[in-house]
Amino acid sequence: MIRRLLKDFQGDVVAIPGRLLALLFFLVLIIIPVITTDSYLLRTLAFANIFAIFAVSWDLLSGYTGQINFGHALFFGVAAYTSALLNLKLGLPPWATIPIGALASVVAGVVVCLPALRLRGPYLSLVTLAFPLILLGIIFAFTDFTGGELGVSGIARISNSRVTDFYISFAVMFVSVMIMWKLTDAKSALVRTGIIFHAIREDEIAARASGINTIRYKMLAFAVGGFFAGIAGAFHAHFMRIAGPANLDLFLSFQVIIWTVFGGITSIYGPVVGVFIMYPLMEFLRVLPEIRMMIFAAIVVVILLFMPEGIAVFIRDKMERQCPRCKLSNVWWRKTCRACSANLR
Amino acid sequence: MLEVKNVTVKFDTAMVLDDANLKINKGELVGLVGPNGAGKTTLLRAIAGLIKWQKEVTRGTRNANVTFEGTVEFEGERIDKLSAHEIARRGLALCPERGRPFVEMTVKDNLLAGGFLCKSSDEIKNNLVKVYELFPRLKERENQVSGTLSGGERQMLCIGRALMHQPKLLLVDEPSSGLAPKLKEDLFKRIEDIFKELGVTILLAEQDISFAFSLSSRSYVMSRGHIISQGTAKELLADETIRKTYLGL
Ligand SMILES: Nc1ncnc2c1ncn2[C@@H]1O[C@H](COP(=O)(O)OP(=O)(O)O)[C@@H](O)[C@H]1O
Ligand SMILES: [Mg+2]
Repeated sequence: MIRRLLKDFQGDVVAIPGRLLALLFFLVLIIIPVITTDSYLLRTLAFANIFAIFAVSWDLLSGYTGQINFGHALFFGVAAYTSALLNLKLGLPPWATIPIGALASVVAGVVVCLPALRLRGPYLSLVTLAFPLILLGIIFAFTDFTGGELGVSGIARISNSRVTDFYISFAVMFVSVMIMWKLTDAKSALVRTGIIFHAIREDEIAARASGINTIRYKMLAFAVGGFFAGIAGAFHAHFMRIAGPANLDLFLSFQVIIWTVFGGITSIYGPVVGVFIMYPLMEFLRVLPEIRMMIFAAIVVVILLFMPEGIAVFIRDKMERQCPRCKLSNVWWRKTCRACSANLR
Repeated sequence: MLEVKNVTVKFDTAMVLDDANLKINKGELVGLVGPNGAGKTTLLRAIAGLIKWQKEVTRGTRNANVTFEGTVEFEGERIDKLSAHEIARRGLALCPERGRPFVEMTVKDNLLAGGFLCKSSDEIKNNLVKVYELFPRLKERENQVSGTLSGGERQMLCIGRALMHQPKLLLVDEPSSGLAPKLKEDLFKRIEDIFKELGVTILLAEQDISFAFSLSSRSYVMSRGHIISQGTAKELLADETIRKTYLGL
């Protein structure tokens, strides 16, 4: 059993550079607190973990099923406010408010989905754009309850230590990303959602003719995307100890798209890479507030000019060579495929 | 097995199907012939539940105003009110016009997507083997992205995909359009195999009349949204007006 696992591990992780790199990335994240307990760095990385979940959830919904969502912050904000209010008004602890917040985002996902089922392309995107604005309007209308501009502050911490905070955010990120990866993986033997999402994205008519209930699966994508965006939003609220209008902001909705496209859309690992490059960079650039946004924009433009599929996908393509015969990934220096020994050059 | 009664489809005011009636018995291979724009595709889409869907998704848009009337019965059950995926689940498969493969997916993934309705992974595996036996070419191209397939391979793929959930009735829409004569002949042999060896009842829409007539036991002739006539190839060819006006022979 263990030997088989080891063998699988060797075949599926060590032999594929992309996966090996992902493993190294996770390992480095795990040992960082051992090396340094610099609270600014740990805090930044904890937020990067949170935003990675958020970006991957957008990729699952928009990248994989083609339902381009311009208002993804809605799910983030709904969960942030729900968990903050539950904590503050009812005194529920974080381990209860976070899942309930995420479920509230699932409900939001289904609500957005209803008009989205009949709309396509830019029309769908515009409608999704409107939802967070509507909710913001409601929040500003009931300032007594929602705190209005100031938000809901003074909610409970997840833990009292930066290191624990970091590890919790890391664990949640790891598990969430793995689940979303499996859900979208067309090669997965476990679930078939990956291939179904792909079919819907490409040709809804052919998908329906194949017996796929496209409506149900679109709803599933909205629910799952909403759930994980909600997990991110609720954790964010508890880490920041505040839920405010910024959680629903247009800027956040666009940021998640930029991170994902920058890293590589429809790839799951792309948004993770995008967030872990862009988010810390933007944080550290706070020392140059005047030109911060300009540098951000310039980097995005330059990267997309040279790597239109995103930086992570670009690097992966450089590192891996797919066998033309059996489609197995191989390290770039191999001349023949590791499985079928077909010529790779 | 399939009975289409008084089906009328209008896009806006354009009458595309006018009171179409058609009946297919189990174990038949029926042809549906007629020139371009006769309404063959529309009829097949109406049977497969796609016109109803089109009506729903275009509601409120400029392309709205799809009228769909009449009844469709499949194995004694009304299916004209069902969604496309529910119709597919009852064992009616459509291989749409131009096939519509998922072009970014590999050949194998296309077939796996077609096997969505299978109950178990064993069933998928068995059906995959069957499709590969029928089209060895697809096995060779298993890992090729389907957008890079040739026209003939694409048709094979889409017929294969439709077979992945073991339909009782297969509707094929102009599989031969745009293929070279040799490829056409191959493809029609395969369709014959599907009919004879897999025992699938088939409704074949075709512009190539000689092939449609040689394969099918009887055919329907369509023109401008009407079903003009039906009968065996011999009967249809014997009728001077049908032969000259509608078949152009
Ligand atoms: N969505 C649509 N809107 C308007 N007209 C359509 C639509 N689909 C098909 N038609 C028209 O219906 C007629 C029949 O088309 P079709 O069923 O594709 O014929 P065939 O398959 O026999 O060539 C054509 O004149 C076509 O222009
Ligand atoms: Mg047609």
